[in-house]
Amino acid sequence: MPSNDSLQTLYSDHHSWLHAWLRSTLGNAADAADLAQDTFVRLLQRREHLQLNTPRAFLRTVARGLVIDHWRREELHRAYLEALAHMPEAQAPSAETRELLLELLERIARMLDGLKPKVRRAFLLAQCEGLKHQAIADQMGISVRTVERYIADALYHCYLLRYADECDQ
Amino acid sequence: MSAAQPDATSVKQAIQWMLKLRENGRDPALQQQCAQWRSARPENEQAWQRVIHLQQELDLRTIPGAGLALQTLESSQRRLHRRQALKLLGGVAMLGSAAWLANDLDATSSWTSDYATGTGERRTFRLPDGTLLQLNTRSAVDLASTERQHLLRLKQGELMITCNPQRQLLLQTRDGLLEGFGGRFVARQDSNCTRVSVSHGRVAIHRPGQAPTEWIESGQNWRLDAQGAYRLDQVDMDAMAWTEGLIVTRAIRLSDFLTQVSRYRHGYLGCSDDIADLRLSGVFRLEDPEQLLLVLPRTLPVQLRQLTRWWVRVEGLA
Repeated sequence: MPSNDSLQTLYSDHHSWLHAWLRSTLGNAADAADLAQDTFVRLLQRREHLQLNTPRAFLRTVARGLVIDHWRREELHRAYLEALAHMPEAQAPSAETRELLLELLERIARMLDGLKPKVRRAFLLAQCEGLKHQAIADQMGISVRTVERYIADALYHCYLLRYADECDQ
Repeated sequence: MSAAQPDATSVKQAIQWMLKLRENGRDPALQQQCAQWRSARPENEQAWQRVIHLQQELDLRTIPGAGLALQTLESSQRRLHRRQALKLLGGVAMLGSAAWLANDLDATSSWTSDYATGTGERRTFRLPDGTLLQLNTRSAVDLASTERQHLLRLKQGELMITCNPQRQLLLQTRDGLLEGFGGRFVARQDSNCTRVSVSHGRVAIHRPGQAPTEWIESGQNWRLDAQGAYRLDQVDMDAMAWTEGLIVTRAIRLSDFLTQVSRYRHGYLGCSDDIADLRLSGVFRLEDPEQLLLVLPRTLPVQLRQLTRWWVRVEGLA
């Protein structure tokens, strides 16, 4: 964990710069203030010692991750509401189900980050729609063998993320 | 805590077994073989438990309303990617990612586009040479530029283009190729036709192999569809008013009016047949479509039936 002193200095030296950077990226002062705060909280929670030769580049890297999380949440909500709008009222899920589903979607979306679009799509067709490999192959215009490889790759990718903490210890 | 830490090989094997069983779950021989593999090494069993657990965590079929999951994940990912490219990675990466998106994702989606707007959104983009693109709600446009030419592709929705006379401007629509010459025009792609209105300058309609080039002059409104291109004598709606945040109508059919309004809002908006032909003239503000709908009962013999925010139907007075 970084010492309080160094974090204190980091904060007083760079907080307003970080806030300005976030503000220009997000175009929104309130979200920028929240994420600037979150960035420093994130640093407080880190286990390893911080050695910062280029503190701003470092802060920006942490903040960028938070910005992407923030946008992901926003886009998921937006896309979900749009999908919902095309659904007959009777089938629309309850408020609690929506919350649950959005939470789950966020976790999955975060895990799938960095997968190639086709790998991701094959995996999602299996997980969301429960399609057989042959059906996925037909829909995507690729071979069954490739579908199997894509899905296995995606699962392995998720596995590494899911159990990363346990592997470290 | 655990007796054995699964290595990469046993994890990958566990994944293979899980997939095989998911595909052919009832095959007893397969189940038998999998059981043997699991008991062969403690690492195998450990990997198996984790993979099954992970699979359950990621299983979206069990949740009610999960039918929306795929669509939600896919379209939000595209938009997220686009946002990242625009805001975080800078221009060079953006070009690369746009090309990458176009290659790898289905070409029909609006979010692979270079310029796009969501529901109710209107945006203006100024290209470096001064060409102005204004996108109306739920619109998407691709752009490929060279030093002498802009080639745009209208994928969905509506846009106004203010051309730079120094540069050739081509707009590919579903129903024909349009060429602008330094003026300003609007193109809107509806479900069965494309409408083009010119406010300044003139626009050529190219339909190679089908018809000679036709010219749309300033002040004219045209309709292009699979059969041909026609000049419209009169229109029931001002083609440019949306750029000022307005809908301006002249004796428009109520059902056509609602179709227009529904482009700016989420959910269902419709009307019963008996009032579909009522006519409506007026100036309406786009900024709040819900507020706009409240005007209807005050001007026409109709009432709004609203089940949820997303479901509104206009009906005759009982």
